[in-house]
Amino acid sequence: MADDEVDPKEYRWETGYEKTWEAIKEDEAGLVEGLVAEFAQKAARKAAAPRRGPVRLGMMRHLLLAIDCSEAMNCQDIKPTRFLCTLKLLERFIEEFFDQNPLSQLGLVLLKNKRAEKLTDMCGNVRKHIKAVQGLTNMNLTGEPSLQNALEYAGRVLKPLPGHASRELLVLFASLTTCDPGDINTNIQALKTDGIRCSVIGLAAEVRICKKLCQDTGGEYGVILDDVHYRSLLLECTAPPPRARALDAGLIKMGFPHCAPLSAQPDNNADPPITQCMCHLEEGEGVGTEGHLCPQCRTKYCSLPAQCRTCGLTLASAPHLARSYHHLFPVDPYEEVPNEGQAQYCFGCLRLFNDLDKEPPFLCHQPPDPFPHQMCNVIHECPFPFISKHQQMFLRSDFWPGGVVFLHFIRLHRCGRCREHYCWQCAGLVSSTLHVCPGCAARPHLYQRLPDTS
Amino acid sequence: MADDNTPTDCSLLVVVVDTNPNQRYIIEDPKVLTNCLDAVIAFSNSHLMQKAKNQLAVIGCHFHKSEYLYPSPGKPLDVRQIDGQYELFTLVEKTIKMRLVNLIKSQPQEDKPGESLLAGALAMALCYISRVRRQLSPGLTMSSRILIVTGSSDTAAQYINYMNVFFTAQKQQVLIDVCSLDKHLSLLQQGCDITGGLYLKVPSLEGLLQYLLWVFLPEASERSKLVLPGGGRVDYRAACFCHREPLSIGYVCSLCLSVAVVTRSHEESTRDHGYCFVAETSSTVFKIGGPLATKPKKKKMKI
Ligand SMILES: [Zn+2]
Ligand SMILES: [Zn+2]
Ligand SMILES: [Zn+2]
Ligand SMILES: [Zn+2]
Ligand SMILES: [Zn+2]
Repeated sequence: MADDEVDPKEYRWETGYEKTWEAIKEDEAGLVEGLVAEFAQKAARKAAAPRRGPVRLGMMRHLLLAIDCSEAMNCQDIKPTRFLCTLKLLERFIEEFFDQNPLSQLGLVLLKNKRAEKLTDMCGNVRKHIKAVQGLTNMNLTGEPSLQNALEYAGRVLKPLPGHASRELLVLFASLTTCDPGDINTNIQALKTDGIRCSVIGLAAEVRICKKLCQDTGGEYGVILDDVHYRSLLLECTAPPPRARALDAGLIKMGFPHCAPLSAQPDNNADPPITQCMCHLEEGEGVGTEGHLCPQCRTKYCSLPAQCRTCGLTLASAPHLARSYHHLFPVDPYEEVPNEGQAQYCFGCLRLFNDLDKEPPFLCHQPPDPFPHQMCNVIHECPFPFISKHQQMFLRSDFWPGGVVFLHFIRLHRCGRCREHYCWQCAGLVSSTLHVCPGCAARPHLYQRLPDTS
Repeated sequence: MADDNTPTDCSLLVVVVDTNPNQRYIIEDPKVLTNCLDAVIAFSNSHLMQKAKNQLAVIGCHFHKSEYLYPSPGKPLDVRQIDGQYELFTLVEKTIKMRLVNLIKSQPQEDKPGESLLAGALAMALCYISRVRRQLSPGLTMSSRILIVTGSSDTAAQYINYMNVFFTAQKQQVLIDVCSLDKHLSLLQQGCDITGGLYLKVPSLEGLLQYLLWVFLPEASERSKLVLPGGGRVDYRAACFCHREPLSIGYVCSLCLSVAVVTRSHEESTRDHGYCFVAETSSTVFKIGGPLATKPKKKKMKI
């Protein structure tokens, strides 16, 4: 409890971990466990402290994500392979990207066999991207990638998009070589001229041309150290880029197309007229009765979000905005309390508490082999997503037989508002995904978290 | 799983029953609640009968809180077999009725019933579903869905809670089905659409059990083969944060994306209170601009 003050100047890797090891002494029985546990809980509590500060969300980003599918992705330096690890991380990336950038669009492209092959169109449909990524698991990884073809493709896709929003390319590049048909510098120059920001995450070692690409176009270049570092580099790319953040705070006029076309209003039973949508004008597709009409000028679009080409209005549907509202109304973190019989069962899932009673911290994870050294002394998030992060911690090998482990603690979690008790799994679900306290949301005086505007 | 059609070994159904006494049909005739409850119990038992490993939970949503009606936490009720009825069915019926009586008795006498807080009950249901999933024996596949039976109307006051619940259900591939007994529920219909569930407003309460059995009993994997009521068009307009009315053109705060201002009629007043209701920059007075600057600046837009 006394550990609440956080020194902002201290980096995570500088936090007094060394010091804390000194604090671990054997207790009378010669056991370190109890002391380790106590210390670990303090660290866990610190990690649970929510990030505060104004929320800034990115709007209308257009990000093209290029995934290296060459032979180099077979390498097993991260487990199970570079490719499978990438796919796993990408699922998380896609969800997070749309959480932070609700009106944005994402497109996926594969770099295989010297070609750039489209996997998904630019769109804002989370499930579609995730499904496409999940479908890649058994793909054959052969040949060399071509960075130039990726840039070529990116230019083609991103250039026609409206200029007010960010246009970005992110390449996950494992190969140390690229097989290009021409001079890649011309492409870099073209991307720079078109204001397309390119970033690269290298999975092997630094490659000069990648570095040049990022430098010239104003993007970020990073090379991963291990899977945990990979994850954090990737997730950093979900935050809106500096330029998008610099936009003035303001109120933006936006249209929310009502699905029913004009003619489908009550007392008119005629079929809606067949019209041409604006997004497929060039291709000559998209003729039909379905679509979203701009509420201002009645131009039709077949998918949202979009920007009206006729009147310039940004068009979205309410769920696009709502995906990010949990940033605005975070659930207050639950407090951990010892199980003293104050509640018999978890309010969320009805799990009885007595069978969890007095269980010692348990191991969640076998140490990675070989153990990556840069992870020593650092509290790490457990890579197993089914457990919320503040219940985990990383212990240095010297202090635990068998090396590095994640410790999980079983205590009760109590909501400070509705006073209901939850098991640690429900507490994890509420803080990581649900963002609604089941107890509060069912109480008339607690359910609303809207600001009082009356 | 929500979006593929492979049958699963078993299925978990969580029924959320709205027991709020201020639903129109209960005010008109309080006995109807018993009839509806009987229909829900019969429906729940039919679900258990479909596959041996099927599981069930029932949550009662009252105006002051929500509670599990089945299963009861702790020791199950002691039921003796009655007239050859399958014991489990008796247990389900007895437990639900007994716990509902307790729930209603616990309602505060001095408070007037407010709206039914279904989002809270849905959040509980999602907690329960993820627990049952964790405890599933390895190798077994299970589909999960939630059915809401309600005669309340939905108001935008729970909008954020609803949306958080819908997105979680979507992520976890839990279907949300809605059976409305009275009014059209546009928010809950969005939830059905987002999660791939079915929405039905029953034309009459007499046939409730039939509707439940025909429409909501088939599992996700069987539904594609059946002709079921179509979703219809879903109204996805945003609700304004200040008046909570759906609108088709509004102003959105560029920092936090809250829909600050809405209808044309409110425009003037918004100009006056031109600040974001939500963002911590609420002291900043915003200039109300047009859309994000578009390339060719056409005539200044009339807003
Ligand atoms: Zn328009
Ligand atoms: Zn629980
Ligand atoms: Zn609470
Ligand atoms: Zn308003
Ligand atoms: Zn705001």
